[in-house]
Amino acid sequence: MKLWVTLEGREAEVEFRTEGGQLWLEMEGERLQADFTRLPDGEVFSLLVEGRSHEVRVSPGNGRLDVTLNGMSFPVEVRHPLEKALQRVRHDQAASGEETILAPMPGLVVALRVKTGERVEAGQAIVVVEAMKMQNELTCRAGGVVEDVLVAERASVASGQALVRILAEAP
Amino acid sequence: MPRLKRVLIANRGEIAVRVIRTLRELDIVSIAIFSEPDRAALHVLLADEAYPIGPGPSSESYLNLERVIETARRVRADAVHPGYGFFAESETFVRACAAEGITFIGPRPETIAALGDKLAARAAALRAGVPVIPGSDGPVATLDEARAVANTIGYPLMLKAAAGGGGKGMRIVGSEKELTAAWELTRGEARAAFGDDRVYIERAIMRPRHVEAQIIAGADGHVHFLGERECSVQRRHQKLLEETPSPAFDAKTRAAFGEAACRVAREVGYLNAGTVEFILDEQNRFYFLEVNTRLQVEHPVTEMVTGLDLVAEQMRVAEGEPLSFGETPPEPRGWAMEARIIAEDPSTNFIPSAGRIDRVRFPQGPGVRNDAGVYRGYEIPVYYDSLLAKLVVWGQDREQARRRMARALSEYVLEGIRQNIAFHRWLVGHPAFAAGDLSTRFLEEHFTPAALEPDRDDTRVAILAAALHAREERLQIVVPEWSPERARSRWKWSDRRRGSAKSARR
Repeated sequence: MKLWVTLEGREAEVEFRTEGGQLWLEMEGERLQADFTRLPDGEVFSLLVEGRSHEVRVSPGNGRLDVTLNGMSFPVEVRHPLEKALQRVRHDQAASGEETILAPMPGLVVALRVKTGERVEAGQAIVVVEAMKMQNELTCRAGGVVEDVLVAERASVASGQALVRILAEAP
Repeated sequence: MPRLKRVLIANRGEIAVRVIRTLRELDIVSIAIFSEPDRAALHVLLADEAYPIGPGPSSESYLNLERVIETARRVRADAVHPGYGFFAESETFVRACAAEGITFIGPRPETIAALGDKLAARAAALRAGVPVIPGSDGPVATLDEARAVANTIGYPLMLKAAAGGGGKGMRIVGSEKELTAAWELTRGEARAAFGDDRVYIERAIMRPRHVEAQIIAGADGHVHFLGERECSVQRRHQKLLEETPSPAFDAKTRAAFGEAACRVAREVGYLNAGTVEFILDEQNRFYFLEVNTRLQVEHPVTEMVTGLDLVAEQMRVAEGEPLSFGETPPEPRGWAMEARIIAEDPSTNFIPSAGRIDRVRFPQGPGVRNDAGVYRGYEIPVYYDSLLAKLVVWGQDREQARRRMARALSEYVLEGIRQNIAFHRWLVGHPAFAAGDLSTRFLEEHFTPAALEPDRDDTRVAILAAALHAREERLQIVVPEWSPERARSRWKWSDRRRGSAKSARR
């Protein structure tokens, strides 16, 4: 299993492997033995990395995780490889005059933030999809006019399904 | 004077808790007062009795004189302990207590009034033969007079607005050339800011240290010196970390310093505990600053090295009893430091932070004391001081105390609000702090918010933790079959469902 993790601009690919009952992580070319145990506190974990002991708190927040460590709090985004690929696709589309907001993973449409015919700006929130207990706010790359809303609120969507189409305005 | 049986604490937060502890040890009934948002505050929980005194804003509760006095009378308190802040240095409050036959645990009202006026306090110090910062004796009328004063005290000097304070209305002048322009500017600013353009002159001390003397005057009028505290590490005139003894003092300086502090206290007929504040110049010469007629926030460091309970001593004085140590105060032993744990964000200009304490674990172990006013789940009200707790450590010498402080800080967990624990860790680890090279400009000289930025190891651990967390959540969703192990930890499921319901509402 592989995940992409972003922390204040630092992007890392973390790969997991279980071998002989032990959990191994690969990150930035390093192979690390790890152990991760939830404490009775609920959100707090004991993390051992190569034996080094860390006490971390992981709080699910608005589509991201807040990790607290040594009194410092870090907003962290975790994504599937698939999400990553789709993000790249959306990037490419942005240049082409039409932008389609795709479901990054199977999930539930929690909120639609736009209506057909509505003018939207680059970066504006279009739709919120909840999957794996995480809410993902999907934004548009470039501004334009909402051409079509293809799903309704509370609809289940498949990975990669088109949700909203946006037509870029003529420059 | 009869023994005190019921004492009302006219305060809140960590200091109210601190006073209640001693009262309970002395078998005196402790009576708390609380504002509406403080209903669930720790001082209410720990006191024997607690009574409401009004809405959140201090002016309508803890600073509502009539309400506090009326409550003290109604609940038959025979004395009031003011803590620090609020009414601790209010002559009016002390007189109101006296009018109701209630003992005020602190100095006499006329002493509080006399020392509250800074120029009168300075005059008292001069009468007692205690050095004050060389300067003009009062406001300077003309530029010519300013030149004359400047020539006698030398440059650099400080032009200060008589009505100023808290760092406002001050200007440093480096030479006679600068004086002419600075004179007009300072007067103009003083007129605009305070409606009063009187300006006086003091020698500027570029890297001052702040050192203060803990004194206590018994009911018999004897004044005792209980050692000094160095409180140089400050930001915007608020102390952040205090220690005793001062790394700047040798035995000879300390003796002269203690003697000077006692002379000021005797000059004004001081009663009970107080603090005489001094400024030290770069040559460790001390100059009188002011007297704080109350128990100080940082009194625990003195307690750690003397073994005294200063609140208990204050009670003895209020009851007319002799001090616990008789004629000679105990010889201080070892070194103590106190870190003020404040709800603020050191990386964003120390702005205060309110919120709910959702996780807390106080450090423990050898030589560690916590004076705290918070607990898990406690909501910090927005109306009051942002001081949450004090971490106090004792060591045989300064280096042991410093290392112990660093160790205790690394154990400290306090989450839900922004706080300055990481700042203190940076501070006690700084080479200049370790060397005892302190001044009130320590932060200006050494601190930038970048000092608190996480290093690559921290972010790596955070990344791994987030990834492991996401993996755990996903694995459990993908594999929902029943297993004995899963059945045991069913609470996880309900916990997560709650979490997702919450985020869906948002």
